[in-house]
Amino acid sequence: MARMKFLCDADRCIECNACVTACKNEHEVPWGINRRRVVTINDGKPGERSISMACMHCTDAPCAAVCPVNCFYTTADGVVLHSKDLCIGCGYCFYACPFGAPQYPKVGNFGSRGKMDKCTFCAGGPEADGSKAEYEKYGANRLTEGKLPLCAEMCSTKSLLAGDGEIIAQIYKERVMKRGYGSGAWGWKTAYRETIES
Amino acid sequence: MLIRRTQRSDSERRGSVATVLSGQSGGLDRRTFLRRSGLAGGALAALSTLPLGSVRKAEAAAAGPLTAGATVRKNICTHCSVGCTVTAEVLNGVWIGQEPTWDSPINRGSHCAKGASVRELVHSERRLRYPMKLVGGQWTRVSWETAINEIGDKLLEVREKSGPDSVYWLGSAKMTNEGAYLFRKLGAFWGTNNTDHQARICHSTTVTGVANTWGYGAMTNSFNDIRNAKTQMIMGGNPAEAHPVSLQHLLEGKELQKANFIVIDPRLTRTAAHATEYVRMRPGTDIPVLYGMMWHILQNGWEDKEFIRQRVYGFDDLRKEVEKWNPEEVERVTGIPGEQLKRVAKMFATEKPSTLIWAMGQTQKTVGTANVRASCILLLMTGNVGGPGMGANIFRGHDNVQGATDVGLDIVTLPFYYGLAEGAWKHWSRVWDVDYEFLKSRFDSKQIMEAPGIPLTRWFDAVTLPKDQVAQKDNVRAVFVQGHASNSITRIPESLNGLKALELLVIADPHPTTWASLAVEVGRKDGLYVLPVATQFECKGSRVASNRSLQWGEQIVKPIFESKDDLEIIYLLAKKFGFADKMFKNIKVENNLPEAEDVLREMNRGSWSTGYCGQSPERLKAHMKNQAKFDMLTMRAPKDDPEVGGDYYGLPWPCWGSPEVRHPGTPLLYNTNLGVMDGGGTFRPRFGIEREEKVADGTTRKVSLLADASYSKDSEIKDGYPEFTLASLKKLGWDKDLTEAELATINKINPATPDAVSWSLDLSGGIQRVALKHGCVPYGNGKARMNAFGLPDPIPVHREPIYTPRVDLVAKYPTLPDAKQFRVPNIGFSVQKAAVEKGIAKQFPLILSSGRLVEYEGGGEETRTNPWLAELQQDMFIEISPADAADRGIKDGGWVWVSGAENNARARMKALVTERVGKGVAWMPFHFGGWLAGKDLRGNYPKGTDPIVLGESANTITTYGYDPATNMQETKVTLCQIVAA
Amino acid sequence: MASLARYIRLGLGTWLLALMITASMPSAAQQVNPTASAVKEQQLLQELNRIQGRVSIPDQRSGVLEQPAGREWREFRNVTLRWVGGIAILGMLVVLVVFYLTRGMVQIQHGRSGRTIVRFGAFERFVHWMTATCFIILAVSGLNITFGRPLLLPLIGHEAFSAWSQWAKYAHNYLSFPFTIGVVLIFLMWLGGNIPNRVDVEWIRRGGGIVGNDHPPAYRFNAGQKAVYWIVVIGGAAVATSGYALMLPFYLSGIEGMQIAAVVHAIVAVLFVAVMLAHIYIGTIGMEGAFEAMGSGVVDVNWAKEHHSLWLEEEEARAAANDARPKPAATAAE
Repeated sequence: MARMKFLCDADRCIECNACVTACKNEHEVPWGINRRRVVTINDGKPGERSISMACMHCTDAPCAAVCPVNCFYTTADGVVLHSKDLCIGCGYCFYACPFGAPQYPKVGNFGSRGKMDKCTFCAGGPEADGSKAEYEKYGANRLTEGKLPLCAEMCSTKSLLAGDGEIIAQIYKERVMKRGYGSGAWGWKTAYRETIES
Repeated sequence: MLIRRTQRSDSERRGSVATVLSGQSGGLDRRTFLRRSGLAGGALAALSTLPLGSVRKAEAAAAGPLTAGATVRKNICTHCSVGCTVTAEVLNGVWIGQEPTWDSPINRGSHCAKGASVRELVHSERRLRYPMKLVGGQWTRVSWETAINEIGDKLLEVREKSGPDSVYWLGSAKMTNEGAYLFRKLGAFWGTNNTDHQARICHSTTVTGVANTWGYGAMTNSFNDIRNAKTQMIMGGNPAEAHPVSLQHLLEGKELQKANFIVIDPRLTRTAAHATEYVRMRPGTDIPVLYGMMWHILQNGWEDKEFIRQRVYGFDDLRKEVEKWNPEEVERVTGIPGEQLKRVAKMFATEKPSTLIWAMGQTQKTVGTANVRASCILLLMTGNVGGPGMGANIFRGHDNVQGATDVGLDIVTLPFYYGLAEGAWKHWSRVWDVDYEFLKSRFDSKQIMEAPGIPLTRWFDAVTLPKDQVAQKDNVRAVFVQGHASNSITRIPESLNGLKALELLVIADPHPTTWASLAVEVGRKDGLYVLPVATQFECKGSRVASNRSLQWGEQIVKPIFESKDDLEIIYLLAKKFGFADKMFKNIKVENNLPEAEDVLREMNRGSWSTGYCGQSPERLKAHMKNQAKFDMLTMRAPKDDPEVGGDYYGLPWPCWGSPEVRHPGTPLLYNTNLGVMDGGGTFRPRFGIEREEKVADGTTRKVSLLADASYSKDSEIKDGYPEFTLASLKKLGWDKDLTEAELATINKINPATPDAVSWSLDLSGGIQRVALKHGCVPYGNGKARMNAFGLPDPIPVHREPIYTPRVDLVAKYPTLPDAKQFRVPNIGFSVQKAAVEKGIAKQFPLILSSGRLVEYEGGGEETRTNPWLAELQQDMFIEISPADAADRGIKDGGWVWVSGAENNARARMKALVTERVGKGVAWMPFHFGGWLAGKDLRGNYPKGTDPIVLGESANTITTYGYDPATNMQETKVTLCQIVAA
Repeated sequence: MASLARYIRLGLGTWLLALMITASMPSAAQQVNPTASAVKEQQLLQELNRIQGRVSIPDQRSGVLEQPAGREWREFRNVTLRWVGGIAILGMLVVLVVFYLTRGMVQIQHGRSGRTIVRFGAFERFVHWMTATCFIILAVSGLNITFGRPLLLPLIGHEAFSAWSQWAKYAHNYLSFPFTIGVVLIFLMWLGGNIPNRVDVEWIRRGGGIVGNDHPPAYRFNAGQKAVYWIVVIGGAAVATSGYALMLPFYLSGIEGMQIAAVVHAIVAVLFVAVMLAHIYIGTIGMEGAFEAMGSGVVDVNWAKEHHSLWLEEEEARAAANDARPKPAATAAE
């Protein structure tokens, strides 16, 4: 059974932010909600690397574990999704998430958080696949259409990979072997408790 | 492999969710969590077989309920010259989604931040909705009819009073070929050469410098072809931000070839972050750096002697200049240690093929033309032109800046580089089917008809200088700008005087732009119109990517609000001026909208000089339809394909002969290893066939400018040869191959001396056809010029920037003397001298450079209005090194005042303290606008059309400085001071 | 509290690394091979256990690329906290039950005198009950966040539980304000009587007289009450501060600060609840005559004599001095 994962090849990422705007475009994500972002380490210094990061859809996801109302679920493809109907906007998933993925719209006064929003691996939410209700709450559901997350599909340098974990790990492994260097499968150890040997 | 939902067993279905939701109540069942476990898939079928793995969609399942029934339309991204195909899903006239275009050999599904967000452009609430004019300082809605009438009347009044040259027609690289061509044609029919566009401030120096070296001033190879290079050297470019999708080819090439990836730049750019060798140089010393490399190459005998002998002219003259640049002098001027430069030179010269990539870093300088010439010379010296993995890969800026340049939206030429001489006018009057005398009558004089116009960099000088200093009947009195930013032009404080003095300013654009906000700021109360123009996603037509490929864009949605297609606006103006019937004689017009296909056909009929003659609309559309058939590396379709067999993608020009000749296009210029009918070619002998040179003993000798024993594959002439004319065909005995009809056309073109009719004037295409038949290139087979006699500096010479911190070097390397260029004076020398004398470098000790951010483009109005992009860069900033910041008590993220060396210019922005820039250097992005000297001008925009993000324009601080050959502006090296605000 | 130690280590590590980087900054940035010197994930994680970079969006917390510490926070929340909270609260309940069963209600040894004395004025009682009410709701809604999912959710189902939790969250957020005000007023109101002194030492030495019929002397507040006071003041300050840090996310700190705030809030809160259980016990069924102090505000003089002998003496002395006529503040009940 496929296990969906993301992998950002930092030696290819150029911080072009295509993944970020592709996500905004596909799901009409509002201003201030960043389901995906690009972080640059050592900015401006030799060795600078950028990494595109969103929800990694962890194995044994910490967000799901700490959620006080248990609103998360993992699909058979390993995608971690949640129900906005159940979410109470407590913010606990953000504290537990190793990747800063959960986002909260600001509603009301003193920073009270609305329902959490995050990357869905373009797989929507609990509503009927491809329904209007699903789109409005979670965005497009590309997986049901046989497509992969748009961020990865549109990545300018094919740095961001999405898909079956075994396949993208293989792709990365081949790349590193071919070119002779690789700064690591960022986040994999934390998210999936595994590294890609190269 | 994913398992489709229907194949899953119930127990699997329960698997993951059941454990999580143990203890759930009945309420949750309705929530349909369980249903979700049956996720569909099948998306990864082809993945594992891909080389170096790109994520790839397999055969998609049927689209979901929300996209069912949508039609798919393809257009080209409007944000840079890479030429990424945009695939749009349209439902009921609404653009509902963007999908990756896997089939495009150029972008292979990819986009950058801008490309991935273009859908927003046609949904924007902040676009101009209807024509407006300023009435007593208030923006007032008017109808299109009123607007065109009033504008037309005023322009005719200016024409009556001051002559046709007093109207400045500023067009755009954002137009399609068809739009840009018609805009130039409009200028010709109006009677002026004051028609310019962004290429002036983009690659005008490249076009001039490179064309003067080997024939055509364009990128020689393609993004894809860079994959073949063993050494990639990027000097004066930051494609990771300016051309992000090109990095797909560059980085994959680097990985596959284990190539050297050298970046020479004052900034450790996002591109440099992926370099195998990064060289930090002082801004404005490109020529010494290149000569420093050449010094090592010649010293060690790494040059390609055979290539130079066969295909290069002027090597000995060059050697004399190079010898001056020993490692000590190079280090003194550029700051680069000799050892590093030697290493770089060795890689470039010996680990071949090598390519040199550049963009604005070389061109936007007072020595821009000389810079690009030096770059070409390095390529020639090492034999790196005319083959895979080689060449001058010149990354153009806008999506159609190459095309708009080609179609002649320029001050120095008619379409397709025919120039402005009488012969050129006569050629185009034949193509346009109008009387030459009529065109002449439209101008003030024959002399001004053949004199280059005023560069857009100088438009406000042409308005405000004393009348006697502007070499035309009168100053510029009206500006009609269709698709050009004002904040991308230097010396903004002085341009304000121009904005104030104009009698009429018309801004035709999807957005009001800084033209409007600044014009209101200087106190204009009237004489200011904004006309809403559609983006190219709302129009159809062809555009040219940097690699010279033409791509046809389909209309995705109808123009939104009251926006109009560029072509329609041009037609409405022509109609108002009363020459529409003449101008559109052979072009179908429906509801005031000229048909783009017909415009392209007219171009095909006249563009023999550049080989735009073979790219009929039908062929271009077939290419878009069959994108998947083109090979990613060679960009060629299999020969047996019925529609596009043997073609190179986008029929990169030159695509010789008429469409029926089926020339495949030329993917790599000057490639002698291919037959000309397979895209091969030679250097173009454009500057005579021989030249008289002085010898040391005082005598002269004649030296051939034709290639020596070098020729393209299968050429029947096994040596250099001049361009083809009827006379030369006769001499070869090939005139017999011409058909009766072709001969008749040739005779009609020049009834007096048909022998003089050349390959570029022959409207029948017969001469080209016959030359091709014999394996020859129509323009001839010449040598590339290291010595480009005729240019201000025939051999490139280092000249310090006008405002340089190294005043000690000015005496030895001064800029060129003052001169009159393009109807206006260029007083760079006086300015440089005064700056040195006044000690400007002491008051303004930091070098200021400028450049691109990936999220924004050009003047930035369009992208700063797009919330998906604007969110990513919300503040104008200046990069400053930690040392300089510490000296000034400036904190990262803190506000600073930046002051410039002229006009007491100052601007308020945030500081970005970073080692990206070296000590003594500061850098600003140039996309911001809408602030002036700390003041927010948001209120000056027509209500609801202000961009989301506003900020100070970099060009508030930039200063005087113009390249003598093109009047390119200086945006990359000036001086500034920064203080904490 | 392994997590807390971890955060301290983390802070130290960051500081040290920053120092190292500054010291080893390459002076000549010219001869570099950026590809070869690329940062590596594992190396960064080993150095800091957190990877931070630059983002251009204003949301600076998104500059934290990875913080595997989230896994440890999760461990704290799902395991440590539940143990600590469970033991503290259940343990306290067990202790109280056992105590009640063995000791029973502490009676007024000499029976009621019939004479009463004012112990708490109306304002004092108002503040107490306002704070107390808020506390109970905050406690219940807070405990729901920690224990609701395993205990309550299976009983009432997802929808009902989420709806209840949503309201509980609102209540928790909004009632924090009166609670905080209450704590501040309590602090100011009763500060005078709650400065520890020598009498407390004796009181503590004698175990507060809780065993047997001992009645160590005490002023208005005995050492036990002082302990409650200070627990309320300090604990209240801690939960309020950490709570507001959580309520106004990232205004004051980054993700590690938020995690520490959540840890502090949770630990203090469960201990607070445990202590308050004891307080409630002693103020109600644990001791005869105690509830009246906060109920009607007056207590029996004999109760006062037994539990707050020194206070009673002070009050009576003051009454005598203030009023020549024999009309003390404490009047005889008819």
